[in-house]
Amino acid sequence: MTGAQLLIDLLAKHGVQEVFGYPGGAIMPIYDALYGAPVKHYLTRHEQGAGFAAVGYARSTGKLGVCFATSGPGATNLITALADAMMDSVPLLAITGQVPTAAIGSDAFQEIDVLGMSLSCTKHSYMVERAEDLAEVLQEAMHLAMSGRPGPVLVDIPKDIQLASAPFQPWLAMEEKLPELLNSEVQKAELLLSEAKRPIAYVGGGVQSAGAQAELMQFLNKTQMPAVSTLKALGSVLPEYEYDLGMLGMHGGQAANIAVQECDLLVCIGARFDDRVTGNLAKFAAKAKVIHLDIDPAEVGKRKPVAASLIADLKTSIPALGCFVTDEAWLRTIIQLKQQHAWRYDYPGEKVFAPYLLKELSKKMPTDGVVCCDVGQHQMWVAQHMTFSHPSNHLSSGGAGTMGFGLPAAIGAQIARPQNMVVTVSGDGSIMMNIQELATIRRNNLPVKIVILDNQRLGMVRQWQQLFFEGRYSETNLSDNPDFVQLAAVFGIPGQTITHAGEVDSAIDALVNSTGPYIVHACIDDKENVWPLVPPGAANDEMMTEKAQ
Amino acid sequence: MKHQLTISVKNQGIAVERFLRVARHRGFRLTQLEMEGHDELFHVKMTVDSDKPIYLLTSQLSKLVEVHTVDLHSLQQQAI
Repeated sequence: MTGAQLLIDLLAKHGVQEVFGYPGGAIMPIYDALYGAPVKHYLTRHEQGAGFAAVGYARSTGKLGVCFATSGPGATNLITALADAMMDSVPLLAITGQVPTAAIGSDAFQEIDVLGMSLSCTKHSYMVERAEDLAEVLQEAMHLAMSGRPGPVLVDIPKDIQLASAPFQPWLAMEEKLPELLNSEVQKAELLLSEAKRPIAYVGGGVQSAGAQAELMQFLNKTQMPAVSTLKALGSVLPEYEYDLGMLGMHGGQAANIAVQECDLLVCIGARFDDRVTGNLAKFAAKAKVIHLDIDPAEVGKRKPVAASLIADLKTSIPALGCFVTDEAWLRTIIQLKQQHAWRYDYPGEKVFAPYLLKELSKKMPTDGVVCCDVGQHQMWVAQHMTFSHPSNHLSSGGAGTMGFGLPAAIGAQIARPQNMVVTVSGDGSIMMNIQELATIRRNNLPVKIVILDNQRLGMVRQWQQLFFEGRYSETNLSDNPDFVQLAAVFGIPGQTITHAGEVDSAIDALVNSTGPYIVHACIDDKENVWPLVPPGAANDEMMTEKAQ
Repeated sequence: MKHQLTISVKNQGIAVERFLRVARHRGFRLTQLEMEGHDELFHVKMTVDSDKPIYLLTSQLSKLVEVHTVDLHSLQQQAI
């Protein structure tokens, strides 16, 4: 068996049925081994598309996402997806071809030090130096990507090793370094809970990584603790939970942000106090003591001191907390805050109002549908106005904030979950960053739905230029965009453009009722902003609102 | 504040690059470095300087797959 055949064989043995990639010179033996193999390969039209499709596949299922690229530019094109997976803790295996061992270090054609490049954007990475190491490296790589706090792992395989005879070696599982819950910390946490008058659960992406939604909901239902979510956590707290306050942070709801600022105990569950969540860190939840639950010890105390640290798998640590019911007076305050700061959709103009459109889309989509986003204003509107019943139904590039994420991520999600509706919501800026993947949708007849909220601007940057750069609109005018419906039509994808509020409902109906791919190109006001907004350097309760503006 | 760390890592060139990158990126300036290779392990003695608490570095180093142990020695304690 060659190294290339061994790779495909091991992927199949580990249950990997689908991979995404793009061939090239240094990975040709692997593509040869794929020919007729039980592992199905999806050709994207750019390696970044393959990387994000694998991320979408992983995030929508919790399974390992796998992508292939050749050496040099093939590998560099994967780097953004690896960085994205690193920031959002996504289990990803990237296989790159490398020039033959003898040519490494000679500046050979398409030779780049991929291992060196991978250091800052992977959980771990390898370059295979001997064919006899290949089996062990690959099995360890798959294990590492999925274990503990998940993340991307890269294996760079020189061409001669792909061609060499490579024996299968059963891998002796490496020693797990997973932390165990300390009873002393659980006791500290219990004491803090018993003393708290105004607790808040601050829920992060760790809940999805741990597969701990059931444990979370059990905890919330038992304690009635009000909950706020990070962008990545949306869907973890079920929408029917009475004390769910939605997203907190820079574009979070006012009720969520005010409640956190007022709380006296913050129970952080798999989150990491990201700057987009905290605003001014010194003023964030300043009255609160913190209990931090996380599997990664490096996240605990990294940005905010903690009073109790429950470092373990969330499936173990969440159930360890109990025997506590939230104070009635605090719950009344929470309900009042929710009512006082509910989202409003009574938009006065005749133009399409993006929040209303997204609310309607959310209502009309099946609850097990998947929504993928790009990055910018539309992404924040999705987070604010759509509801999700599981975090694997909302794929949004959180930590890295990568424009161009949405379309390829939707492809990966649709392949992983063929029975579910997959919609990508994008902006006119973001969609152009991986627009070539319309060809992948067509090639595979994927019924991916596309909504483009088009303000002919790089909307979020434009908003900041308006608010914080004296209206100097530097390089944010995209009024020379192509006609997106015509563009999609070239790839055989039907759709429609809407420009008025009255067209929204029928367009959403057409989108959700279409059996194949479909595009709704919604022209929105170029001056529409995302509200509320926590300005840079401000505390989360110093939000700017439309009214104040 | 200066801190001295002793780290044992798998005897691979990339392991050294990996932990030096982490130290730089997390805001710790390298002021001294000694390395010795024994069998399968490198033993590294490293002094770093930063205003940040040292656990922000040790917790990140401990996560690296090739790192076996990270031991911290306070230079001030050593002077006493």
